[in-house]
Amino acid sequence: MPRRSAIVASAIALMLAPAAVAACGGDDDSASTTSSGTNAAQGEQLHKGVTLTLWTMPNSPKPKEDLQKMVEPFTAKTGVKVDVQEVGWDVQFDRIRNAAVSGEGPDITQAGTTQVPFFAALGGFLDLSDRVDEIGGADAYADGIWKTTQVEGQDGTWAIPWFTEARSIYYRKDVLEKAGIDPATAFTDLEAFRTTLQTIKEKVPDIEPFGAPGKKAFDLVHNVMPFVWDNGGAELSPDAKQATINSPEAQEGVEFMAGLIQDGLFDKSQLERDGTQVENQFKGGRLAVWIGGPWVLGSIGREEDDTWVPEARENVGVAPMPTGPGGKGYTFVGGSDLMIFKHTKHPDEAWALVKFLSEDQTQKDYAELLGMFPARLDPQQQVGQSSENHQAFFEAIQSGRTYAPIPQWGQIENAYKTRFGNILDSAAGVGKDYSEATVKAELDAAAKEADGLLAQSAG
Amino acid sequence: MAQTTLQSPPEAGSARALPTRAGRPRRRRTLFAYWLIAPAVAFMVLVHLVPTAGGVLLSFKRLNTFTFARLFDAPWAGLENYRSILFDTANPLRDGFFGAVQNTAVYTFWTVSGTLAGGLAIALLLNRQMRGIRLIRTLMLTPWIVPSFVVAVLWQFMWQSDVGIVNKVLVDYTHLLSERPIWLLGENSMWAIIIPSVWRGLPFAMIFFLAGLQAMPPELHEAAAIDGAGPFRRFRYITLPLLRPLIAVQLLFGVIYAAYQFAIPYIMLGSNPGPDADLMMTLIYRQSFSNNLFGFGAAASVLLMAAMCVWVAIWYRAFKRDLEVT
Repeated sequence: MPRRSAIVASAIALMLAPAAVAACGGDDDSASTTSSGTNAAQGEQLHKGVTLTLWTMPNSPKPKEDLQKMVEPFTAKTGVKVDVQEVGWDVQFDRIRNAAVSGEGPDITQAGTTQVPFFAALGGFLDLSDRVDEIGGADAYADGIWKTTQVEGQDGTWAIPWFTEARSIYYRKDVLEKAGIDPATAFTDLEAFRTTLQTIKEKVPDIEPFGAPGKKAFDLVHNVMPFVWDNGGAELSPDAKQATINSPEAQEGVEFMAGLIQDGLFDKSQLERDGTQVENQFKGGRLAVWIGGPWVLGSIGREEDDTWVPEARENVGVAPMPTGPGGKGYTFVGGSDLMIFKHTKHPDEAWALVKFLSEDQTQKDYAELLGMFPARLDPQQQVGQSSENHQAFFEAIQSGRTYAPIPQWGQIENAYKTRFGNILDSAAGVGKDYSEATVKAELDAAAKEADGLLAQSAG
Repeated sequence: MAQTTLQSPPEAGSARALPTRAGRPRRRRTLFAYWLIAPAVAFMVLVHLVPTAGGVLLSFKRLNTFTFARLFDAPWAGLENYRSILFDTANPLRDGFFGAVQNTAVYTFWTVSGTLAGGLAIALLLNRQMRGIRLIRTLMLTPWIVPSFVVAVLWQFMWQSDVGIVNKVLVDYTHLLSERPIWLLGENSMWAIIIPSVWRGLPFAMIFFLAGLQAMPPELHEAAAIDGAGPFRRFRYITLPLLRPLIAVQLLFGVIYAAYQFAIPYIMLGSNPGPDADLMMTLIYRQSFSNNLFGFGAAASVLLMAAMCVWVAIWYRAFKRDLEVT
């Protein structure tokens, strides 16, 4: 009878069993890595014939092959081979966590920027502080991006930014023209943003003005937070000790987004889709305005991407996110970093590979392949100059914001995601009746849950 | 528990056969039998009982983001996980837990009753001789061979409010509804997972009942018909009582299977199905694996397991007599 719960229990136990073993073995490893770590800085005495294992997530159409090709020059130059392994986004969190606590895993892994503090807190990764000067340190990166390599209240640099994305407004130039709206002023501030959607609704009835995914999207919080920031709200207090998502400012931001649904400007049927599905709705010509990352810009030129309809493909415009009442416009900046495992037997070679992946040309080539932006300022700027739309993204990245780098952020983000999802659902008429009190109650619940998560401790 | 109750009839049968062999040979035979089942027992203990015990032990530990890597070395929490889930109104996760309990009960009730009633109805329809009956029966089995994953993905597309076939039929073709309902959000999302679950469970229930109906002696129906009993009365007083053991077994497994359902809600609605459709398993999975709250997850799992033990006890009392008859 308890068969199924036993499966869950055994899954938990089996998944974590290596952790206990690793906890004993971990210390020896770290001792050996620090000793070999010192001679690393001295120069490029790399062992030829060493094979590094690198975990990557599905970033590009052929993730493994694309990256394998990208590191060929590195192998040619150093003699260090790289075995690229692909780990799906659906399992990467579990697998990196297990590798970190068990000591069984690759040498280097890609990690989402908001995951870095959690992984770093597990203790399974190398502190790269002594080495980062070799690649220009913090100065070589935009502030919001460098912040993703740190852990709040702790010394150390746990990751190196690899590639970057930020969210901007995508719009259909032809639809704006039909509606008689000037793109230059269409999205300048929140009021203009709403008016633009209203005008599209009235003048171009055969297209939905705006759409965004609901609670199925892994990045729902990234879509909502810019409106909260614009209104002067924040996810946590500046010292990251307390949730502030239920402040009046934050509530105003959430209500702005929910209000778009209430006013019929936000196609509510998009709420049952995930991020990629809504993206395809914009590409498929069903949405006039949508908020998304730079990869969509990159896919315009790809003939084989048949999710685009011609009228959408040929009329893409990009605008920076609107500014709020405070006069500043925020957007979420994210992407992926590279982390070196503490248990690696080849820290010097691993660092050499990270350095290679941080070179201007590699950064540009790989980012272009992904439709992302390079993580480093110089190549970023060069990509920004390539077109007007790219320039909008470059600017977005510079003013981009990310969340407090604390280990519990991932959990807090999940809690917020749940509540934001409930609020959007109720605005769409499929949850509790929508009112200011409903929003307040959901945000209070989100803050309460987040405070509970912040209070977790090791003791 | 379920296994032991079901095993009792064969034991009774073998006891009757045994007295013919007496003394030592019998003991040797028993020993031989123990050797034969030893690997299976060892395997069960290793992959089933030990992890279950481990899971129960974890439910007494304070496992969170900072401690889960220590696993069994994590700080001892005693009954704290249970207390905070069940009684601590300040615990932000408590509402979610009781919401999931309620949703799981609703889901289980409708899934099991829908599957049993529908399966019986189809079995009654197919229990007759007519042309092409074999083909029809085979076709009726198809939902059963479709993996849960595929069922969930297919239905997810069918439910989509703007382009899904369900709303196309309800709104565009038949005009039964004037506005397109959103199926995958809010209260409707519960039906969006119950209906595919029933759809997938129907064939098994049908084949089960069909076997029972075909084994039924036709004389009973003939005699009742001669005495003037109509089809409904014959169903009520002959078919249904004779099918009682079959219903009992399906109820037992149906409830357990539904209460532990994960694939369909997870694939259709994501790891967080929302307050209207969050089931116990999606809650446990989310809190354990996405939020590292393995202590909470383990305690909730144990509570669910306990609830299933209670269900089996109730079931056993209710259907004890039927099992003895079989």
